Amino acid sequence: MMPRFIRNSLRNKVMVMAIATTLVALLLSALGLVIYDLRAYERQWSTDLEAQADVLARASAPALSFGDRVTAEKDLSVMRVRQHILAAALYTPDGKLFATYVKKNAEVPAFPPAPGADGYRIAGDELVLFRSVVENGEKIGTVHLRSTYRPWDRLRDYLTILLGVMVASLAVAAVVASWMQKAVIGPILEVSGLAHRVRETRDYSLRATKTTEDETGQLVDSFNEMLAESGRRAAAIRLADQRKDEFLATLAHELRNPLAPIRNGLEILRVAGDDPDKALMAREMMQRQLTQMVRLVDDLLDVSRITTGKLAVRKEALELQSVLRDAVEIVRPFLEARRHKFDCVLPDEPIVVDGDRTRLAQVFSNLLNNAAKYTDPGGQILLSAAREGEDAVVRVRDNGVGLAPESLEQIFDMFVQVDRTLERSQAGLGVGLTLARRLLQLHDGSIEAHSDGAGRGSEFVVRLPLTFVRMAHSPGTVEPARSGAGRRVLLADDNVDFATSLGDLLSARGHEVRIAHDGAEALRAAEAFRPEVAFVDIGMPKVHGYEVARRMRASPGTARTLLVAVTGWGQENDRKRAREAGFDRHLVKPVDPGEIEAILEGR
Amino acid sequence: MTRTALRIFALAMALAAMDVRAQATTTEAIVKAAFLYKFAGYVEWPSSAFPTPDTPIVIGVSGADEVVGELERLVPGRNVNGHQVLVRRVREESIRGVHVLFVGRGAADAPALARAGQQQGALVVTEVDRGLELGSAINFVPVEDRIGFDVSLGNAEKAGLRISARMLPVARKVIVRP
Repeated sequence: MMPRFIRNSLRNKVMVMAIATTLVALLLSALGLVIYDLRAYERQWSTDLEAQADVLARASAPALSFGDRVTAEKDLSVMRVRQHILAAALYTPDGKLFATYVKKNAEVPAFPPAPGADGYRIAGDELVLFRSVVENGEKIGTVHLRSTYRPWDRLRDYLTILLGVMVASLAVAAVVASWMQKAVIGPILEVSGLAHRVRETRDYSLRATKTTEDETGQLVDSFNEMLAESGRRAAAIRLADQRKDEFLATLAHELRNPLAPIRNGLEILRVAGDDPDKALMAREMMQRQLTQMVRLVDDLLDVSRITTGKLAVRKEALELQSVLRDAVEIVRPFLEARRHKFDCVLPDEPIVVDGDRTRLAQVFSNLLNNAAKYTDPGGQILLSAAREGEDAVVRVRDNGVGLAPESLEQIFDMFVQVDRTLERSQAGLGVGLTLARRLLQLHDGSIEAHSDGAGRGSEFVVRLPLTFVRMAHSPGTVEPARSGAGRRVLLADDNVDFATSLGDLLSARGHEVRIAHDGAEALRAAEAFRPEVAFVDIGMPKVHGYEVARRMRASPGTARTLLVAVTGWGQENDRKRAREAGFDRHLVKPVDPGEIEAILEGR
Repeated sequence: MTRTALRIFALAMALAAMDVRAQATTTEAIVKAAFLYKFAGYVEWPSSAFPTPDTPIVIGVSGADEVVGELERLVPGRNVNGHQVLVRRVREESIRGVHVLFVGRGAADAPALARAGQQQGALVVTEVDRGLELGSAINFVPVEDRIGFDVSLGNAEKAGLRISARMLPVARKVIVRP
């Protein structure tokens, strides 16, 4: 476990690392040196002593030969210049002590009475040596030397020197480490400090200074890039958050807006119900407001589909002109209300694309609606379609408020609206263009905004890939209904008010209507009545809507009935389940009587 | 102590003294024989003294029978600088080929012999007072209780010989000129 002060500081780590490395290297090399030196010391010492013995042997050979003890002792006394030689002796060939020398003041044990074998040995603090003196191949005596031998003294000297070297080296290591801190760790510490500051202040505009081109420099670069990216993301998140807040505020406002007129309408009906004109006006007004609310809620559902990635399209071959006409029909009342001059230029030859009729109509009505909304009353709006290469291109142009260049892309972001100061009654939720782009992407198409600038009008260009199928006739999803009014209609819904009121409405328009309030009753009625069209609620008692659809499809009498699911759930899963059960269409409550009428008319 | 006892004691002492003298003589011969042999190792002859590499070193002795006996016991199997060592009794007429010539006390005409030895390039060794004046290179002298020797480098040089400096410290005295 590292001590805390090392663990928590890169600076100290580097210091400790440099010093520890130096220390280990020094200790290892010192150990090696000491071992080597102690061996060398012994070798050198013994070699030296043997050389001494050689010299002595040669010098004292005459003295030994001629038995000259005095000269022999003189020869031995030469050793006094050798401070480490403690004692020396000569032995005669027959092993008797012949001459001796003892260093002044040296305390040495008595000379061995007889010479030992040639060679040296270590005895305590001494190196003891015997060497034969040979002349003309004849041993004429033996030299004996005793020398001090203090490897420990040498070791101590060595360690003292080593200690000095070590202290010096560590000082150098410390200097190097501090230099490394500046050169190598410095930038890292700066990055670390900066990271800390950024975390404290949330200021992503701070940048680290790059001082080197090495890996540390790259780290600084990467860090700066990450800071920039974090800054962008933080800003994006803030912006998205802000937009969501604005969206909620808008949503609340938009949902609340139609309620006041509706309440007023109810009040008018209550007070002036006898006056048919006033009642009609009130009803029409309430209907408009209700439509607006339904549209808002549909938008909301689409928003949730976009954010959860569940937006899906059902593609089929479509004639683009008919889709555009549908879209125009949806928007026409609004265009007229704004007194815009509207032109529609469509080629005669059918343009066929692969797409979802309802969704594409939604896209184009949205664009037209925007054009009408963001153009001052009495403006000009042009819708055109053409084939360009392998694309079908649809243009919606207006001479309205236009777009600033920086807004051209931004407007496709969720909850972005060009002009929040605009009159709010038709403001919407700011999801239309996001939804349009998303839907077109699902069609492998695209959408772009063009504008010469604020106040100079704008143009939205939609591109969709063409489908090269010659259509024999204009395709449709709904089975062509037999002409003429007066269809047999089955209404199955456990909401008695809804079923009854809708039944009255359809009867009034000349249809033959049967009403059932639960699944079992619906099946009995279907068998007996054989309706052409059946509106079936999903959440009914006894037998639920899906089962009713399956059984009706299975029965020969009702297999070809147009089955319409009516439900409060409009999610894609619900639609899918309805399709699987055998329903042809899917309506989400509250149902617009116009939609029902459209189905009955085979549109 | 009785007179008889004294006489016996005196006799015993005399006998002991005689024994010591006899023994001393023998020891002296042994030592001198060894020295003569060893001198050869410290002397450098001119190459003409050894016509072939296996020419033996000849030690000639005159007037010292005991020394001859000792040398004859000593030298067999020994060599000096690779040369076998031979011992001969010599007279003046027969000193040709002798490398070391020992002129003992009993030599007939010691000065003539020494001179002849020197002239024909032998290491002449004498054992008399002022022996070096006879022309010998080495002269044995008693030194305290043992035998020492004096060296005359000049006389050796006259005989064409060089004596190793290593030997000189052992000499009692070394003179350059006799």
